[in-house]
Amino acid sequence: MVKKRIVQEPLWVKILLFFISGIFLSVFIALPLITIFQEALKSGIVVYLQTFTDPGVTSAIRLSLLTIVICVPINTFFGIFIAWLVTKYEFPGKRILITAIEVPFSISPVIAGLLFIFMFGAIGWFGTWLIDHGIKIVFAFPGIVLAVLFVSFPFVARELIPLMRVLGKDDEEAALTLGASGFQIFWKVTLPNIKWGLLYGIILTNARALGEFGAVSVVSGLVRGVTTTMPLYIDILYGEYMFRAAFAVASIMTFLALFTIIAKAVLEYFIAAQRKSMEVEIQL
Amino acid sequence: MNVEVTNVSKKFGNFVALDNISINIPKGDIIALLGPSGCGKTTLLRIIAGLETPDSGVIKFFGEDLTNKQVKDRKVGFVFQHYALFRHMNVFENVAFGLRVRPRKIRPDKKTIHENVMRLISLVQLEGFVNRFPSELSGGQRQRVALARALAVEPTVLLLDEPFGALDAKVRKELRSWLRRLHDEIHVTSVFVTHDQDEALEVSDSIVIVNKGKIEQIGSPIEVCDNPVNPFVADFLSDVNRPLIKQKKHLFETINAPGQGI
Repeated sequence: MVKKRIVQEPLWVKILLFFISGIFLSVFIALPLITIFQEALKSGIVVYLQTFTDPGVTSAIRLSLLTIVICVPINTFFGIFIAWLVTKYEFPGKRILITAIEVPFSISPVIAGLLFIFMFGAIGWFGTWLIDHGIKIVFAFPGIVLAVLFVSFPFVARELIPLMRVLGKDDEEAALTLGASGFQIFWKVTLPNIKWGLLYGIILTNARALGEFGAVSVVSGLVRGVTTTMPLYIDILYGEYMFRAAFAVASIMTFLALFTIIAKAVLEYFIAAQRKSMEVEIQL
Repeated sequence: MNVEVTNVSKKFGNFVALDNISINIPKGDIIALLGPSGCGKTTLLRIIAGLETPDSGVIKFFGEDLTNKQVKDRKVGFVFQHYALFRHMNVFENVAFGLRVRPRKIRPDKKTIHENVMRLISLVQLEGFVNRFPSELSGGQRQRVALARALAVEPTVLLLDEPFGALDAKVRKELRSWLRRLHDEIHVTSVFVTHDQDEALEVSDSIVIVNKGKIEQIGSPIEVCDNPVNPFVADFLSDVNRPLIKQKKHLFETINAPGQGI
Protein backbone atom coordinates (compact mmCIF):
# COMPACT_ATOMS: atom_id res chain seq x y z
CA MET A 1 0.00 0.00 0.00
CA VAL A 2 1.48 3.28 -1.10
CA LYS A 3 -1.01 5.64 0.49
CA LYS A 4 -2.35 4.98 3.92
CA ARG A 5 -5.26 6.98 5.22
CA ILE A 6 -4.81 8.27 8.72
CA VAL A 7 -8.21 7.14 9.87
CA GLN A 8 -8.12 3.56 8.75
CA GLU A 9 -9.14 0.55 10.76
CA PRO A 10 -6.63 -2.26 10.96
CA LEU A 11 -7.06 -5.02 8.42
CA TRP A 12 -8.28 -7.58 10.96
CA VAL A 13 -11.31 -5.38 11.76
CA LYS A 14 -12.30 -5.42 8.12
CA ILE A 15 -11.90 -9.17 7.90
CA LEU A 16 -13.87 -9.69 11.09
CA LEU A 17 -16.74 -7.48 9.91
CA PHE A 18 -16.75 -9.24 6.59
CA PHE A 19 -16.99 -12.64 8.26
CA ILE A 20 -19.68 -11.67 10.71
CA SER A 21 -21.91 -10.26 8.00
CA GLY A 22 -21.10 -13.20 5.76
CA ILE A 23 -22.14 -15.71 8.41
CA PHE A 24 -25.27 -13.75 9.24
CA LEU A 25 -26.35 -13.56 5.60
CA SER A 26 -25.73 -17.24 4.93
CA VAL A 27 -27.54 -18.44 8.05
CA PHE A 28 -30.56 -16.21 7.69
CA ILE A 29 -30.87 -15.75 3.94
CA ALA A 30 -28.80 -18.11 1.81
CA LEU A 31 -29.43 -21.31 3.74
CA PRO A 32 -33.23 -20.94 3.95
CA LEU A 33 -33.33 -20.18 0.23
CA ILE A 34 -31.30 -23.28 -0.55
CA THR A 35 -33.50 -25.32 1.79
CA ILE A 36 -36.63 -24.30 -0.10
CA PHE A 37 -35.31 -25.56 -3.39
CA GLN A 38 -33.67 -28.62 -1.87
CA GLU A 39 -36.89 -29.70 -0.15
CA ALA A 40 -38.96 -28.94 -3.23
CA LEU A 41 -36.68 -31.02 -5.47
CA LYS A 42 -36.05 -33.83 -3.00
CA SER A 43 -37.99 -36.44 -4.97
CA GLY A 44 -36.76 -35.27 -8.33
CA ILE A 45 -37.77 -32.75 -10.90
CA VAL A 46 -40.65 -34.86 -12.26
CA VAL A 47 -42.42 -35.02 -8.92
CA TYR A 48 -41.69 -31.33 -8.45
CA LEU A 49 -43.37 -30.47 -11.74
CA GLN A 50 -46.26 -32.82 -11.02
CA THR A 51 -47.12 -30.73 -7.96
CA PHE A 52 -48.26 -28.00 -10.30
CA THR A 53 -50.90 -30.20 -11.89
CA ASP A 54 -52.61 -30.60 -8.52
CA PRO A 55 -55.93 -28.71 -8.73
CA GLY A 56 -55.44 -27.16 -5.27
CA VAL A 57 -52.06 -25.75 -6.29
CA THR A 58 -53.22 -24.47 -9.67
CA SER A 59 -56.25 -22.79 -8.18
CA ALA A 60 -54.06 -21.14 -5.51
CA ILE A 61 -51.74 -19.80 -8.19
CA ARG A 62 -54.68 -18.64 -10.28
CA LEU A 63 -56.30 -16.92 -7.31
CA SER A 64 -53.08 -15.14 -6.37
CA LEU A 65 -52.52 -13.95 -9.92
CA LEU A 66 -56.11 -12.80 -10.25
CA THR A 67 -55.77 -10.87 -6.99
CA ILE A 68 -52.69 -8.97 -8.14
CA VAL A 69 -54.19 -8.35 -11.57
CA ILE A 70 -57.05 -6.56 -9.84
CA CYS A 71 -55.26 -4.97 -6.89
CA VAL A 72 -52.04 -3.66 -8.42
CA PRO A 73 -53.70 -1.48 -11.12
CA ILE A 74 -56.24 -0.11 -8.63
CA ASN A 75 -53.57 0.77 -6.09
CA THR A 76 -51.35 2.22 -8.81
CA PHE A 77 -54.17 4.46 -9.97
CA PHE A 78 -55.12 5.68 -6.51
CA GLY A 79 -51.46 5.99 -5.50
CA ILE A 80 -50.79 8.37 -8.41
CA PHE A 81 -54.08 10.12 -7.70
CA ILE A 82 -53.25 10.82 -4.06
CA ALA A 83 -49.62 11.76 -4.76
CA TRP A 84 -50.86 14.21 -7.38
CA LEU A 85 -53.43 15.68 -5.01
CA VAL A 86 -50.95 16.04 -2.17
CA THR A 87 -48.09 17.53 -4.18
CA LYS A 88 -49.86 19.79 -6.66
CA TYR A 89 -52.59 21.32 -4.50
CA GLU A 90 -52.91 23.09 -1.19
CA PHE A 91 -55.89 22.21 0.98
CA PRO A 92 -56.75 21.95 4.67
CA GLY A 93 -56.17 18.54 6.21
CA LYS A 94 -53.33 17.71 3.82
CA ARG A 95 -51.02 16.56 6.60
CA ILE A 96 -53.68 14.29 8.01
CA LEU A 97 -54.15 12.73 4.60
CA ILE A 98 -50.41 12.12 4.22
CA THR A 99 -50.34 10.43 7.63
CA ALA A 100 -53.45 8.42 6.81
CA ILE A 101 -51.69 6.91 3.80
CA GLU A 102 -49.36 5.16 6.23
CA VAL A 103 -52.13 3.57 8.31
CA PRO A 104 -51.97 0.19 6.54
CA PHE A 105 -48.28 -0.01 7.47
CA SER A 106 -48.81 0.64 11.14
CA ILE A 107 -51.83 -1.63 11.64
CA SER A 108 -51.17 -5.32 12.07
CA PRO A 109 -52.44 -7.21 9.01
CA VAL A 110 -54.56 -9.47 11.22
CA ILE A 111 -56.40 -6.45 12.56
CA ALA A 112 -56.79 -5.14 9.01
CA GLY A 113 -58.47 -8.44 8.15
CA LEU A 114 -60.73 -8.20 11.20
CA LEU A 115 -61.77 -4.69 10.18
CA PHE A 116 -63.27 -6.10 7.02
CA ILE A 117 -65.01 -8.86 8.95
CA PHE A 118 -66.56 -6.21 11.21
CA MET A 119 -67.65 -4.19 8.22
CA PHE A 120 -68.86 -6.81 5.80
CA GLY A 121 -69.23 -10.01 7.87
CA ALA A 122 -72.57 -11.45 9.03
CA ILE A 123 -72.32 -9.49 12.30
CA GLY A 124 -70.81 -6.42 10.59
CA TRP A 125 -72.27 -2.99 9.79
CA PHE A 126 -73.33 -3.90 6.31
CA GLY A 127 -73.75 -7.62 7.10
CA THR A 128 -77.53 -7.91 7.06
CA TRP A 129 -77.90 -5.75 4.00
CA LEU A 130 -75.30 -7.79 2.14
CA ILE A 131 -76.95 -11.09 3.12
CA ASP A 132 -80.35 -9.76 2.04
CA HIS A 133 -78.96 -8.91 -1.36
CA GLY A 134 -77.05 -12.15 -1.69
CA ILE A 135 -73.63 -10.50 -1.85
CA LYS A 136 -70.74 -12.38 -0.32
CA ILE A 137 -67.67 -10.39 0.59
CA VAL A 138 -65.92 -12.02 3.52
CA PHE A 139 -64.91 -15.65 3.18
CA ALA A 140 -65.00 -15.04 -0.56
CA PHE A 141 -62.87 -13.55 -3.33
CA PRO A 142 -64.04 -9.90 -2.89
CA GLY A 143 -62.89 -10.01 0.74
CA ILE A 144 -59.42 -11.13 -0.33
CA VAL A 145 -59.24 -8.32 -2.86
CA LEU A 146 -60.29 -5.76 -0.22
CA ALA A 147 -57.75 -7.02 2.31
CA VAL A 148 -54.94 -7.02 -0.24
CA LEU A 149 -55.92 -3.56 -1.50
CA PHE A 150 -55.73 -2.31 2.07
CA VAL A 151 -52.34 -3.72 2.99
CA SER A 152 -50.62 -2.91 -0.30
CA PHE A 153 -52.08 0.55 -0.80
CA PRO A 154 -49.32 2.86 0.55
CA PHE A 155 -46.39 1.80 -1.64
CA VAL A 156 -47.05 3.81 -4.81
CA ALA A 157 -48.10 7.00 -3.03
CA ARG A 158 -45.18 6.76 -0.60
CA GLU A 159 -42.73 6.38 -3.45
CA LEU A 160 -44.22 9.19 -5.54
CA ILE A 161 -44.90 11.92 -2.97
CA PRO A 162 -41.26 12.77 -2.19
CA LEU A 163 -40.29 12.45 -5.86
CA MET A 164 -43.08 14.72 -7.07
CA ARG A 165 -42.26 17.23 -4.33
CA VAL A 166 -38.71 17.52 -5.62
CA LEU A 167 -39.92 17.81 -9.21
CA GLY A 168 -42.24 20.69 -8.30
CA LYS A 169 -44.93 22.22 -10.47
CA ASP A 170 -42.78 24.06 -13.02
CA ASP A 171 -42.89 21.42 -15.76
CA GLU A 172 -46.67 21.10 -15.53
CA GLU A 173 -47.12 24.87 -15.54
CA ALA A 174 -44.82 25.20 -18.52
CA ALA A 175 -46.93 22.63 -20.39
CA LEU A 176 -50.05 24.48 -19.34
CA THR A 177 -48.84 27.80 -20.78
CA LEU A 178 -47.95 25.95 -23.97
CA GLY A 179 -51.60 24.97 -24.33
CA ALA A 180 -51.54 21.31 -23.23
CA SER A 181 -54.70 19.78 -21.74
CA GLY A 182 -54.67 18.11 -18.32
CA PHE A 183 -54.60 14.69 -19.94
CA GLN A 184 -51.71 15.63 -22.24
CA ILE A 185 -49.78 17.11 -19.33
CA PHE A 186 -50.12 13.87 -17.38
CA TRP A 187 -49.08 11.57 -20.23
CA LYS A 188 -46.41 13.69 -21.85
CA VAL A 189 -44.87 15.51 -18.90
CA THR A 190 -45.70 14.08 -15.48
CA LEU A 191 -45.61 10.36 -16.25
CA PRO A 192 -42.21 10.41 -18.01
CA ASN A 193 -40.85 12.33 -15.02
CA ILE A 194 -42.09 9.86 -12.43
CA LYS A 195 -41.87 6.60 -14.36
CA TRP A 196 -38.98 4.98 -12.47
CA GLY A 197 -40.35 5.86 -9.06
CA LEU A 198 -43.78 4.68 -10.15
CA LEU A 199 -42.44 1.34 -11.38
CA TYR A 200 -40.58 0.91 -8.11
CA GLY A 201 -43.80 1.51 -6.21
CA ILE A 202 -45.66 -0.95 -8.42
CA ILE A 203 -43.05 -3.66 -7.87
CA LEU A 204 -43.31 -3.24 -4.10
CA THR A 205 -47.12 -3.22 -4.26
CA ASN A 206 -46.98 -6.41 -6.29
CA ALA A 207 -44.63 -8.12 -3.85
CA ARG A 208 -46.79 -7.23 -0.88
CA ALA A 209 -50.01 -8.21 -2.66
CA LEU A 210 -48.62 -11.63 -3.55
CA GLY A 211 -47.09 -12.33 -0.19
CA GLU A 212 -49.80 -11.07 2.17
CA PHE A 213 -50.76 -13.74 4.68
CA GLY A 214 -52.30 -12.29 7.85
CA ALA A 215 -55.06 -10.05 6.52
CA VAL A 216 -56.00 -12.48 3.77
CA SER A 217 -56.07 -15.44 6.15
CA VAL A 218 -58.65 -13.67 8.35
CA VAL A 219 -61.07 -12.77 5.55
CA SER A 220 -60.49 -15.86 3.44
CA GLY A 221 -62.20 -18.46 5.61
CA LEU A 222 -59.85 -20.97 3.97
CA VAL A 223 -62.31 -22.45 1.48
CA ARG A 224 -59.95 -24.80 -0.29
CA GLY A 225 -59.50 -24.08 -4.00
CA VAL A 226 -61.77 -21.05 -3.70
CA THR A 227 -60.24 -18.61 -1.23
CA THR A 228 -56.75 -19.99 -0.69
CA THR A 229 -54.04 -17.79 -2.17
CA MET A 230 -50.51 -19.13 -2.54
CA PRO A 231 -49.24 -18.19 0.93
CA LEU A 232 -52.40 -19.63 2.55
CA TYR A 233 -52.15 -22.81 0.55
CA ILE A 234 -48.52 -23.28 1.52
CA ASP A 235 -49.61 -23.06 5.13
CA ILE A 236 -52.41 -25.59 4.60
CA LEU A 237 -50.12 -28.05 2.79
CA TYR A 238 -47.51 -27.73 5.50
CA GLY A 239 -50.13 -28.29 8.19
CA GLU A 240 -51.11 -31.48 6.47
CA TYR A 241 -47.53 -32.74 6.37
CA MET A 242 -47.33 -32.38 2.60
CA PHE A 243 -43.91 -30.85 2.81
CA ARG A 244 -42.84 -31.38 -0.76
CA ALA A 245 -45.90 -29.69 -2.22
CA ALA A 246 -45.59 -26.88 0.32
CA PHE A 247 -41.99 -26.26 -0.67
CA ALA A 248 -42.82 -26.51 -4.36
CA VAL A 249 -45.35 -23.69 -4.08
CA ALA A 250 -42.91 -21.81 -1.86
CA SER A 251 -40.28 -22.12 -4.58
CA ILE A 252 -42.53 -20.22 -7.02
CA MET A 253 -42.99 -17.45 -4.52
CA THR A 254 -39.24 -17.39 -3.98
CA PHE A 255 -38.67 -16.97 -7.70
CA LEU A 256 -41.09 -14.07 -7.72
CA ALA A 257 -39.32 -12.53 -4.74
CA LEU A 258 -35.92 -12.86 -6.42
CA PHE A 259 -37.34 -11.25 -9.53
CA THR A 260 -38.68 -8.42 -7.37
CA ILE A 261 -35.28 -7.83 -5.79
CA ILE A 262 -33.53 -7.71 -9.13
CA ALA A 263 -36.17 -5.37 -10.59
CA LYS A 264 -35.81 -3.19 -7.49
CA ALA A 265 -32.05 -2.96 -7.86
CA VAL A 266 -32.33 -2.04 -11.54
CA LEU A 267 -34.93 0.61 -10.82
CA GLU A 268 -32.90 2.05 -7.95
CA TYR A 269 -30.07 2.54 -10.40
CA PHE A 270 -32.30 4.51 -12.78
CA ILE A 271 -33.81 6.56 -9.97
CA ALA A 272 -30.33 7.47 -8.68
CA ALA A 273 -29.35 8.51 -12.22
CA GLN A 274 -32.41 10.71 -12.50
CA ARG A 275 -31.77 12.30 -9.09
CA LYS A 276 -28.22 13.05 -10.14
CA SER A 277 -29.25 14.74 -13.38
CA MET A 278 -31.80 16.77 -11.45
CA GLU A 279 -29.15 17.96 -9.01
CA VAL A 280 -26.90 19.02 -11.85
CA GLU A 281 -29.81 20.88 -13.36
CA ILE A 282 -30.45 22.84 -10.18
CA GLN A 283 -26.78 23.76 -9.85
CA LEU A 284 -26.50 25.15 -13.38
CA MET B 1 -54.73 48.45 -27.61
CA ASN B 2 -52.38 47.43 -24.86
CA VAL B 3 -51.87 44.83 -22.21
CA GLU B 4 -53.82 46.27 -19.31
CA VAL B 5 -53.71 45.27 -15.67
CA THR B 6 -56.38 47.12 -13.73
CA ASN B 7 -56.82 47.28 -9.93
CA VAL B 8 -55.42 43.81 -9.31
CA SER B 9 -55.20 42.62 -5.71
CA LYS B 10 -54.12 39.27 -4.30
CA LYS B 11 -53.83 37.93 -0.77
CA PHE B 12 -52.27 34.69 0.44
CA GLY B 13 -53.95 34.14 3.80
CA ASN B 14 -53.20 37.36 5.68
CA PHE B 15 -50.27 38.30 3.50
CA VAL B 16 -51.06 41.00 0.95
CA ALA B 17 -49.07 40.06 -2.14
CA LEU B 18 -50.56 42.68 -4.47
CA ASP B 19 -52.49 45.77 -3.43
CA ASN B 20 -54.56 47.42 -6.15
CA ILE B 21 -52.01 47.28 -8.96
CA SER B 22 -52.60 48.89 -12.37
CA ILE B 23 -50.19 48.82 -15.30
CA ASN B 24 -50.56 49.63 -18.96
CA ILE B 25 -48.07 47.96 -21.29
CA PRO B 26 -47.87 49.39 -24.82
CA LYS B 27 -47.87 46.81 -27.60
CA GLY B 28 -44.39 45.72 -28.63
CA ASP B 29 -42.68 47.09 -25.53
CA ILE B 30 -40.58 45.18 -23.07
CA ILE B 31 -41.11 46.18 -19.47
CA ALA B 32 -39.42 45.10 -16.27
CA LEU B 33 -41.10 44.39 -12.97
CA LEU B 34 -38.34 45.35 -10.57
CA GLY B 35 -38.35 44.99 -6.83
CA PRO B 36 -36.81 43.25 -3.83
CA SER B 37 -37.65 39.58 -3.34
CA GLY B 38 -41.06 38.94 -1.85
CA CYS B 39 -42.47 42.21 -3.20
CA GLY B 40 -45.15 40.50 -5.29
CA LYS B 41 -43.65 40.88 -8.74
CA THR B 42 -43.68 37.18 -9.56
CA THR B 43 -47.26 36.89 -8.32
CA LEU B 44 -48.23 39.70 -10.68
CA LEU B 45 -46.53 37.94 -13.58
CA ARG B 46 -48.29 34.68 -12.74
CA ILE B 47 -51.61 36.49 -12.58
CA ILE B 48 -51.02 37.98 -16.03
CA ALA B 49 -50.24 34.45 -17.27
CA GLY B 50 -53.30 32.96 -15.60
CA LEU B 51 -51.27 30.63 -13.37
CA GLU B 52 -52.68 32.48 -10.37
CA THR B 53 -56.15 33.98 -9.93
CA PRO B 54 -56.44 37.56 -8.64
CA ASP B 55 -58.85 38.25 -5.75
CA SER B 56 -60.05 41.31 -7.66
CA GLY B 57 -59.13 43.29 -10.73
CA VAL B 58 -59.15 42.89 -14.49
CA ILE B 59 -56.57 41.61 -17.00
CA LYS B 60 -57.01 42.67 -20.62
CA PHE B 61 -54.85 41.78 -23.62
CA PHE B 62 -55.40 44.22 -26.47
CA GLY B 63 -58.98 44.98 -25.53
CA GLU B 64 -60.01 41.40 -24.75
CA ASP B 65 -60.96 40.68 -21.13
CA LEU B 66 -59.04 37.55 -20.06
CA THR B 67 -59.60 37.70 -16.31
CA ASN B 68 -61.69 34.53 -16.30
CA LYS B 69 -59.90 32.78 -19.14
CA GLN B 70 -57.72 29.76 -18.47
CA VAL B 71 -53.98 29.77 -19.03
CA LYS B 72 -54.16 27.82 -22.25
CA ASP B 73 -56.63 30.25 -23.82
CA ARG B 74 -54.51 33.31 -23.09
CA LYS B 75 -51.75 32.72 -25.64
CA VAL B 76 -48.92 33.71 -23.35
CA GLY B 77 -45.36 32.50 -23.52
CA PHE B 78 -43.86 31.87 -20.10
CA VAL B 79 -40.18 31.48 -19.34
CA PHE B 80 -39.35 30.05 -15.91
CA GLN B 81 -36.37 30.88 -13.73
CA HIS B 82 -35.30 27.24 -13.60
CA TYR B 83 -36.10 26.69 -17.29
CA ALA B 84 -38.67 23.92 -16.65
CA LEU B 85 -37.54 22.11 -19.78
CA PHE B 86 -38.98 18.65 -20.31
CA ARG B 87 -35.96 16.55 -19.42
CA HIS B 88 -37.01 13.46 -21.36
CA MET B 89 -37.31 15.42 -24.62
CA ASN B 90 -34.50 16.76 -26.77
CA VAL B 91 -34.23 20.39 -27.84
CA PHE B 92 -36.36 19.88 -30.94
CA GLU B 93 -39.15 18.08 -29.07
CA ASN B 94 -39.15 20.69 -26.33
CA VAL B 95 -39.62 23.51 -28.80
CA ALA B 96 -42.19 21.53 -30.79
CA PHE B 97 -44.26 20.66 -27.70
CA GLY B 98 -46.63 23.62 -27.87
CA LEU B 99 -47.45 22.92 -31.51
CA ARG B 100 -47.83 19.16 -31.08
CA VAL B 101 -50.32 19.36 -28.23
CA ARG B 102 -52.73 21.47 -30.24
CA PRO B 103 -56.08 19.90 -31.07
CA ARG B 104 -55.94 18.13 -34.43
CA LYS B 105 -57.99 20.81 -36.17
CA ILE B 106 -55.55 23.64 -35.53
CA ARG B 107 -52.37 21.57 -35.36
CA PRO B 108 -49.89 22.40 -38.13
CA ASP B 109 -48.73 19.47 -40.29
CA LYS B 110 -45.41 17.77 -39.61
CA LYS B 111 -43.52 19.75 -42.21
CA THR B 112 -44.74 23.11 -40.90
CA ILE B 113 -43.91 22.13 -37.32
CA HIS B 114 -40.43 21.11 -38.41
CA GLU B 115 -39.88 24.39 -40.28
CA ASN B 116 -41.18 26.52 -37.39
CA VAL B 117 -39.13 24.69 -34.81
CA MET B 118 -35.93 24.90 -36.85
CA ARG B 119 -36.51 28.60 -37.46
CA LEU B 120 -36.87 29.22 -33.71
CA ILE B 121 -33.85 27.08 -32.89
CA SER B 122 -31.76 29.16 -35.27
CA LEU B 123 -33.26 32.33 -33.80
CA VAL B 124 -31.87 31.35 -30.40
CA GLN B 125 -28.64 30.20 -32.04
CA LEU B 126 -28.75 26.55 -31.08
CA GLU B 127 -28.62 24.96 -34.54
CA GLY B 128 -26.00 22.41 -33.56
CA PHE B 129 -27.92 21.25 -30.48
CA VAL B 130 -31.20 20.03 -31.96
CA ASN B 131 -30.79 16.46 -30.69
CA ARG B 132 -29.31 17.28 -27.31
CA PHE B 133 -31.20 16.70 -24.10
CA PRO B 134 -31.53 19.46 -21.48
CA SER B 135 -29.03 17.68 -19.21
CA GLU B 136 -26.42 18.05 -21.97
CA LEU B 137 -26.78 21.84 -22.22
CA SER B 138 -25.35 24.73 -20.20
CA GLY B 139 -27.63 27.00 -18.20
CA GLY B 140 -27.61 29.75 -20.80
CA GLN B 141 -28.38 27.28 -23.58
CA ARG B 142 -31.24 25.83 -21.59
CA GLN B 143 -32.78 29.22 -21.04
CA ARG B 144 -32.56 29.89 -24.77
CA VAL B 145 -34.36 26.61 -25.46
CA ALA B 146 -37.02 27.66 -22.95
CA LEU B 147 -37.40 30.95 -24.79
CA ALA B 148 -37.70 29.26 -28.18
CA ARG B 149 -40.26 26.86 -26.71
CA ALA B 150 -42.33 29.77 -25.37
CA LEU B 151 -42.13 31.60 -28.70
CA ALA B 152 -43.22 28.53 -30.68
CA VAL B 153 -46.87 29.02 -29.74
CA GLU B 154 -46.71 32.56 -31.18
CA PRO B 155 -47.68 34.21 -27.91
CA THR B 156 -49.32 37.63 -27.87
CA VAL B 157 -47.45 38.36 -24.65
CA LEU B 158 -44.13 36.94 -23.49
CA LEU B 159 -43.65 36.63 -19.73
CA LEU B 160 -40.26 35.95 -18.20
CA ASP B 161 -39.85 35.11 -14.51
CA GLU B 162 -36.31 36.00 -13.39
CA PRO B 163 -35.08 34.55 -16.68
CA PHE B 164 -31.40 35.00 -15.85
CA GLY B 165 -31.67 34.44 -12.11
CA ALA B 166 -30.14 30.98 -12.16
CA LEU B 167 -27.18 31.90 -14.39
CA ASP B 168 -23.70 33.03 -13.43
CA ALA B 169 -22.80 36.70 -13.82
CA LYS B 170 -20.97 36.50 -17.12
CA VAL B 171 -23.57 34.42 -18.97
CA ARG B 172 -26.23 36.63 -17.48
CA LYS B 173 -24.75 39.77 -19.00
CA GLU B 174 -24.35 38.17 -22.40
CA LEU B 175 -27.83 36.79 -22.38
CA ARG B 176 -29.54 40.00 -21.37
CA SER B 177 -28.03 42.09 -24.14
CA TRP B 178 -28.86 39.23 -26.48
CA LEU B 179 -32.46 39.26 -25.25
CA ARG B 180 -32.67 43.01 -25.87
CA ARG B 181 -31.46 42.54 -29.46
CA LEU B 182 -33.83 39.63 -29.96
CA HIS B 183 -36.72 41.74 -28.76
CA ASP B 184 -35.78 44.51 -31.19
CA GLU B 185 -36.03 41.86 -33.87
CA ILE B 186 -39.33 40.16 -32.99
CA HIS B 187 -41.17 42.90 -31.06
CA VAL B 188 -43.41 40.71 -28.97
CA THR B 189 -44.92 42.52 -26.00
CA SER B 190 -42.88 41.28 -23.04
CA VAL B 191 -42.87 41.51 -19.27
CA PHE B 192 -39.97 40.28 -17.26
CA VAL B 193 -39.47 40.02 -13.55
CA THR B 194 -36.14 40.77 -11.98
CA HIS B 195 -34.57 41.91 -8.73
CA ASP B 196 -31.42 43.05 -10.56
CA GLN B 197 -31.48 46.81 -11.22
CA ASP B 198 -28.85 46.72 -13.96
CA GLU B 199 -30.76 44.02 -15.78
CA ALA B 200 -33.98 46.05 -15.70
CA LEU B 201 -32.22 49.22 -16.86
CA GLU B 202 -30.42 47.55 -19.73
CA VAL B 203 -33.19 45.42 -21.17
CA SER B 204 -36.46 47.25 -20.67
CA ASP B 205 -38.29 50.12 -22.36
CA SER B 206 -39.91 51.01 -19.07
CA ILE B 207 -39.58 49.87 -15.51
CA VAL B 208 -42.24 49.19 -12.91
CA ILE B 209 -40.75 49.37 -9.44
CA VAL B 210 -42.71 47.24 -7.00
CA ASN B 211 -42.41 47.15 -3.23
CA LYS B 212 -44.60 45.35 -0.68
CA GLY B 213 -47.33 44.69 -3.21
CA LYS B 214 -47.57 48.28 -4.39
CA ILE B 215 -46.17 50.17 -7.35
CA GLU B 216 -43.66 52.81 -6.31
CA GLN B 217 -42.89 54.25 -9.72
CA ILE B 218 -43.34 53.55 -13.43
CA GLY B 219 -41.08 55.13 -16.03
CA SER B 220 -38.32 54.76 -18.56
CA PRO B 221 -34.89 53.76 -17.21
CA ILE B 222 -33.70 57.35 -17.43
CA GLU B 223 -36.77 58.73 -15.69
CA VAL B 224 -36.62 56.41 -12.73
CA CYS B 225 -32.90 56.97 -12.30
CA ASP B 226 -32.92 60.73 -12.70
CA ASN B 227 -36.20 61.47 -10.95
CA PRO B 228 -36.95 58.91 -8.29
CA VAL B 229 -40.32 59.78 -6.78
CA ASN B 230 -39.56 58.69 -3.24
CA PRO B 231 -36.71 57.61 -0.97
CA PHE B 232 -37.39 53.91 -1.57
CA VAL B 233 -36.85 54.20 -5.32
CA ALA B 234 -33.84 56.45 -4.84
CA ASP B 235 -32.31 54.01 -2.39
CA PHE B 236 -33.17 50.94 -4.45
CA LEU B 237 -31.53 52.42 -7.56
CA SER B 238 -28.65 54.09 -5.73
CA ASP B 239 -25.98 51.58 -6.70
CA VAL B 240 -26.91 50.98 -10.34
CA ASN B 241 -24.39 50.98 -13.09
CA ARG B 242 -25.46 54.23 -14.76
CA PRO B 243 -23.39 53.96 -17.91
CA LEU B 244 -25.58 50.99 -18.84
CA ILE B 245 -28.48 53.33 -19.56
CA LYS B 246 -26.38 55.78 -21.50
CA GLN B 247 -24.89 52.92 -23.41
CA LYS B 248 -28.31 51.93 -24.63
CA LYS B 249 -29.80 55.31 -25.37
CA HIS B 250 -26.71 57.06 -26.75
CA LEU B 251 -24.76 54.19 -28.14
CA PHE B 252 -22.83 56.16 -30.74
CA GLU B 253 -21.91 59.02 -28.47
CA THR B 254 -20.51 56.58 -25.97
CA ILE B 255 -18.33 55.03 -28.60
CA ASN B 256 -17.18 58.40 -29.91
CA ALA B 257 -16.57 59.98 -26.54
CA PRO B 258 -13.84 58.04 -24.77
CA GLY B 259 -14.19 60.17 -21.62
CA GLN B 260 -17.63 58.80 -21.05
CA GLY B 261 -16.55 55.18 -21.46
CA ILE B 262 -17.76 52.28 -19.44
